[in-house]
Amino acid sequence: MRDVSVVLKDLSNILGSKMIQTRILRPEKIYMRVQVGAHRDAIKFILKRDEDAGISAITGVDLGEKIELMYHIRTHGTIITIGTEVSKNNAKIESITDLIPGANFHEREVSDLLGVIFEGHPDPKRLILPEDWPRNIFPLRKDAPITNIPSKMGDSECSGDVKQVSGDERLINVVMGPQHPALIEPERFSLRVEGEIVRQVEPRIGYVHRGIEKATENRTYLQNIYLVERICGICNAAHTVCFCQAVEAIMGVNIPPRAKYLRTIILELNRIHSHMLLLGHAGLEIGYETLFHYIWRDREPIMGIMENLTGNRVITSFITIGGVRRDLREEYIPIIKTELDKLKDKMNFYRRLFENDSTIKVRTKGIGVLSKQDALKLCVVGPVARGSGVRIDVRKDEPYAAYNEIEFNVITYDDGDSWARFMVRLDEIVESINIIQYALNHLPSGPYRVRVPRTVPAGEAISRVEAPRGELFYYVKSNGSSYPERVKIRTPTFSNIPSFIHIAEGCNIADVPAIFASLDPCFSCTDR
Amino acid sequence: MCQQSLQALTHVSHAQIDEGELRVSLDFTLIFRILIFPGFTFILLLTMFCDWVERKIEARMQNRIGPMYTGPAGVLQPLADFIKLLIKEDIVPFNVRNFVFKFAPIISLSFFIFSFVFLPIDGANIIFDSCFEGDLILVLTLVSIANFLLFLSGWSSTNPYSVIGATRVLTQLTAYDIPLFILALAPAFLAGSLSISTIVSRQHIPFALMIPWAFALFIVALQAELEKDPFDVPHAETEIVAGYETEYTGRRLAFLKLAKDVQIVLGAAIAVELFLGGPHGPVFYGSSAFWCTLWFTFKLLVVIAFTEYLTCIFARLRIDQVLSVNWRLLLPLSLLSLAAAAGVSLWLNPLWR
Repeated sequence: MRDVSVVLKDLSNILGSKMIQTRILRPEKIYMRVQVGAHRDAIKFILKRDEDAGISAITGVDLGEKIELMYHIRTHGTIITIGTEVSKNNAKIESITDLIPGANFHEREVSDLLGVIFEGHPDPKRLILPEDWPRNIFPLRKDAPITNIPSKMGDSECSGDVKQVSGDERLINVVMGPQHPALIEPERFSLRVEGEIVRQVEPRIGYVHRGIEKATENRTYLQNIYLVERICGICNAAHTVCFCQAVEAIMGVNIPPRAKYLRTIILELNRIHSHMLLLGHAGLEIGYETLFHYIWRDREPIMGIMENLTGNRVITSFITIGGVRRDLREEYIPIIKTELDKLKDKMNFYRRLFENDSTIKVRTKGIGVLSKQDALKLCVVGPVARGSGVRIDVRKDEPYAAYNEIEFNVITYDDGDSWARFMVRLDEIVESINIIQYALNHLPSGPYRVRVPRTVPAGEAISRVEAPRGELFYYVKSNGSSYPERVKIRTPTFSNIPSFIHIAEGCNIADVPAIFASLDPCFSCTDR
Repeated sequence: MCQQSLQALTHVSHAQIDEGELRVSLDFTLIFRILIFPGFTFILLLTMFCDWVERKIEARMQNRIGPMYTGPAGVLQPLADFIKLLIKEDIVPFNVRNFVFKFAPIISLSFFIFSFVFLPIDGANIIFDSCFEGDLILVLTLVSIANFLLFLSGWSSTNPYSVIGATRVLTQLTAYDIPLFILALAPAFLAGSLSISTIVSRQHIPFALMIPWAFALFIVALQAELEKDPFDVPHAETEIVAGYETEYTGRRLAFLKLAKDVQIVLGAAIAVELFLGGPHGPVFYGSSAFWCTLWFTFKLLVVIAFTEYLTCIFARLRIDQVLSVNWRLLLPLSLLSLAAAAGVSLWLNPLWR
């Protein structure tokens, strides 16, 4: 935090009168309002001070006459928010994609959903809305109609990249998705291939966008827990914890220590089962079906533990504002421990397999290399970043739940290839097992939840959680009623997709699924 | 013993033709042999059975149970799948090369089945006189042509996945046919004949024991020829959906899949004939044809189980890696093993005379 305050002091000196106001977003996040145009200076300055800085999210909030844009910059392990306001009628602002290439998708999303035009953006196409969505309706604006949206404009209005065929005769357009065996969820990636080599990747997401950010505004906080839980089935605990932390921060509620430990346990169980799911899936992608079946068999006990702990296998509904909803039965603790010990032995076996099996090595080592510089430039998060040697982990940088009391290692590999990304996950499973075992041994007694009022005082909060796929970011703004004013959700996969485009170019088409799996994309997260 | 029965049978049939009186009953035997046993029907049933065995082995190795419900232990599942595909809607996409698209699967299937004519299954060939000096080369050529037809079926589909799958078939075929041919010649050297029946009849000790290196390499080349892991790139479903099969539906898909399954059985059968002594084995009592068929099926299943084991323990290679395995490793090794087999045959061949 000391670094941050120094940076802020220098920053306010440089910006001078362009800086309008500083305030604190809960918990302990600095917000700096600047004039339009000065946001670039501020971001430039932060980037100069900290080479590891990147963008976490861009939040747009409809304030009525104006649209507030918040650039959440990740630096020194915390978040600095640079805010600015543009008028709604003439919503234009300079793009920052040239400063941070990772901001590309964030700007396109804001432009789609709030109608802010980013001047100088290299590729200002639609990202989330369908091509035939009316040009003048922006869903996240408060005055946007929710019903009776004119559907299906004429074909001429569509500027979809479906029809854009590359002029180069040698390139074949191989479309991956929206329905494709390598993708479990529907998104489209057009690969322009020359022979077996991929020359260009054109992503198109948003096929299953559900407008959850908009939907949260019409539901109470309590209902929203179950809504955000359904953003992603695999990492549902991360979403609920992240949302509840934000709301608790606005309320100023401190949850009991036992609840913190129970949250840690469920988060780590989630991480184990998500990583195992991915590793098995990776086996399938490289044509190693036996590995897939073995790992998924060994994942079952974890699902069993979750069922016993929470009552459900997948969507656990375990977290609530003020703590957790169920207590852990004492007599079940030894059973969890033995199951985890067994899993640990099996992870050793899989580790040996990934290290020694020649076909796995040949398919993943040196394939899909993402260098550390590119990883920082594209602002990737989670195991993808750690596989490239970038040491970021919200659990260490800004400990939440009980992570400040538990010892664990942040796994990093410097190779940056698909193999390194798989190994990060393998090792993280073992770390997670250790964390759970520590938490079970040191589980504090006492209540597991506190009762909280239904209405939430006005305020804003930022919450971050290390989901299995990386940093999950929530921004919650409350207006004092029992409905939130704005909930911004930035999921890890949304930050990681740009890296796929970067890695896949120049790769063999046969490596695309393996590379794709190594990024562990979750499209139900991306299309929230 | 089977050799004797073969000679006896041929002798009888010649006698019958000479007499000219029993021609009707002879024709009936021939038709029975071609259509029922050990011809068409037997081969198809054997294929379905082998398919079931394959699926069961793979499932057990992967901690699954495999087909369970159709017939005892799911043994009728391949047949059920085939019939299900037959009754499905048949869609021919708009832009395909019509003739090739429609007929390639069936012609390919018939080529594979025709190749069985030259393989002794119940001690004799399906048509008694069909063996001749050089039918080994004919069988291998027929297999290549049938494979090429599979390529054409994908190429005619005008679908990017099919086209890429088809080019992969062709790339892999041109690469792995060469070592396969070379390795198939090693037993021919040992037996001093290019006729499969003769090679079989001269295996008093299975050639797999005399030249095990050639047998091992042959299995690897076969694995590539049959497009199984780690060489199943032509239909790598996570990359190119179903490869050359992508646009096929209904009965054409049924025949395409059947052709692939028959190809697997044929590949294993060639391995059995060339290296494992074909249908020969101890005959305990009763008809030697029965025992020969039993031994043939048993050896076939052993080969299939082994290839299925290989399939289970490897990840899929990339097409360039597949090719470099071939040109850098398999081809030189197969040439060496052929030379070694020729050396062995120098002191072995006088034994035949």
